[in-house]
Amino acid sequence: MGTRLKEDGSSKKQLLITSILFMGFGHMVYLKQYIKGAIYAAIEIIMLCMLPVIISKVNGLITLGSPQPELPVKLREHSIFMLIDGVMIFAVVLLFFVIYFISVRSALNDYKDFCIEKKLKGNKASMSGLLGKAFPIFGLAPTVILIIFFVVVPLVFAAGVAFTNYSAPKHIPPNNTVDWVGFDNFVTMFGGDATWTSALGRVALWTLAWAILATVTCYFGGMIMAVVLLDNKLKIAPLFRGIFILPYAVPSVVSMLVWQNLLNGSFGTVNRTLMQLGVIDKVIPWLSDPWLAKFTVVMINLWAGFPYFMLLITGTMTAISADLFEAAKIDGAGRYQLFRKITLPLVLYQTMPLIIMSFTHNINNFGAIFFLTGGDPVVADSTVTSAGGTDILVTWIYKLTINLSKYNYASVLAIMIFVILAPFAIFNFRRTKSYKEGEL
Amino acid sequence: MKIIRKINLSVVILFLTIFSLGVIYPLVYVVSAAFSPGNSIASLNIIPFADGFTTQHFVHLFTNTKYLTWFRNTLIIATSTSALTILVASLGAYVFSRFHFAVKKGMMLTMLILQIFPSFVGMIAIYVILLRIGGLDQLWGLVLVYLAGNIPYNTWMVKSYIDTISKSLDESARIDGANHLTIFWKIILPIARPIIIFLGISSFTAPWMDFIFPKMVLRSADKQTLALGLFSFVTDKKNEFTTFAAGSLLVAIPFIIFFIISQKTMVTSFGGAAVKE
Repeated sequence: MGTRLKEDGSSKKQLLITSILFMGFGHMVYLKQYIKGAIYAAIEIIMLCMLPVIISKVNGLITLGSPQPELPVKLREHSIFMLIDGVMIFAVVLLFFVIYFISVRSALNDYKDFCIEKKLKGNKASMSGLLGKAFPIFGLAPTVILIIFFVVVPLVFAAGVAFTNYSAPKHIPPNNTVDWVGFDNFVTMFGGDATWTSALGRVALWTLAWAILATVTCYFGGMIMAVVLLDNKLKIAPLFRGIFILPYAVPSVVSMLVWQNLLNGSFGTVNRTLMQLGVIDKVIPWLSDPWLAKFTVVMINLWAGFPYFMLLITGTMTAISADLFEAAKIDGAGRYQLFRKITLPLVLYQTMPLIIMSFTHNINNFGAIFFLTGGDPVVADSTVTSAGGTDILVTWIYKLTINLSKYNYASVLAIMIFVILAPFAIFNFRRTKSYKEGEL
Repeated sequence: MKIIRKINLSVVILFLTIFSLGVIYPLVYVVSAAFSPGNSIASLNIIPFADGFTTQHFVHLFTNTKYLTWFRNTLIIATSTSALTILVASLGAYVFSRFHFAVKKGMMLTMLILQIFPSFVGMIAIYVILLRIGGLDQLWGLVLVYLAGNIPYNTWMVKSYIDTISKSLDESARIDGANHLTIFWKIILPIARPIIIFLGISSFTAPWMDFIFPKMVLRSADKQTLALGLFSFVTDKKNEFTTFAAGSLLVAIPFIIFFIISQKTMVTSFGGAAVKE
């Protein structure tokens, strides 16, 4: 079998087999691209050398270690490291196969070029492909590597933990090992354990209610302000607009912590002011009554969030053609009708994607809850579940992880957030221009 | 008719005035607290600026706390995150916008789904990965985490923008012998400047107030960020509201000034995004 390629394309099979047999051989033997081929071959050699490691890591992923009470703590098998390493090894192997696929395809493409141009590219020409044909690979490499190791692996790990018993007090490595438990955690959360199930129901319902209320109040609050400021032709409108934007400009951690102090039950400024004015006799438990606290977080979120929609709706409203209003006025429409029949539908239609985005953002709005109430006040099941009266799913995940070390339950919640939010993400995706035009 | 309109108008102005007082009240109170003597919020007069005037909290911040270190750390983190996000996200967006390849649709959908997760869902794994690569308690470790978290959504955003740039520009440059990197650097980036600026600002501002990841990644006292430091003033253990107010004021003022200046641009880019999608 010679190493000369035929120009009529009949050597394709030979090249394909050689390239598949060992990565980079096709480049070296037939295409005479020694440097490129050597790099590919080196990658495969490294992978082959790593094979024992890969096998042991995959094995670790399956067993998650065995209890070794006789060993000192430091030498025991660490289930969590094994789980993460296993997931990472999978990612590495996946990347390896992607590179393999790319190498075989690049060999075939070069052969195709050879059949047309009748001469082989040299080493130099094939490497300059880095800025030519190989550009997408080079351009996406940082994105892919970062996303795989800092987004995908952690999320897959989190999803995996939902099927283990990784939780305090009995299964915290390195003292003890963690085991796969199948759907046990889901069973506990969805009906198996009354305390956890009722807490989950309560928190999930409140999360939805919170996200809807927070979005709707901010949207219509912003709309009212935008309409009032635009409609009345006030000379000082810019001044008011400037003031109303301030809450949006202040970093939210700061403003939430400030409100937390102002609304404090015993020494908060709001209560002290109301008492000195004689409006109330005893303190109002703004943040310590479960229902009032829910109301308060929505209101404070309105304070922080309406400016965004005010800006947005002002922008959209000024873009509506004045002719529409003129025509309607001639037909005898009043100001209310103008708003009801023209402004509102147009603005709603144009800002719909942003309303959805705001809704999904609020489902995950950690800061608005955590820095204002910390998820408190405590309710009946808080001692067991750590979920307070204003906790939403994300803040509960945080508490389960940091305070209780119930990683398994936290992961079940993360999967729930995914189930709730994925449809919205896909809905917004299908609305994008590039999807509609079939460019993808 | 005229009288009714006038009454109407004064009602509106009255309503707006009361409302703006409500909006501005906590902010005024923070400013006043920053300059008031005393420590906890309980000791402050309910009327702003009624306690007298002092700058001792600012002096305290700069002499007795590590405020400057926090500020420097946060600045380093924010600047590097912003620069790297622009680089990686726009390069990725360019590839997604201009090239066709086998797994493109799958990759884009994956990124869209990934961006709905708050990144701290995977924080245990991120912690272990940082531990493995020596990134714990390092500013660059935190930058990597932010960068990775920023990429999915922002690549999409920039890609949508680059889609609107005519492809004939690329083609004519290619005829003149430009390679992809040159086209990206010399043609696409300058045209996409509005979205790049927006991306730069949003990824610069986010780290200033993030809390969870700094708390997890940064342990030693010299590596703390502003959010951690400010939070430490008002935890349950101590209530130094006035110091907190002074520190917050110093961060918030540049933000507010910047915001008011760039207000118009922000509205157009938000609005633009709404119309385009």
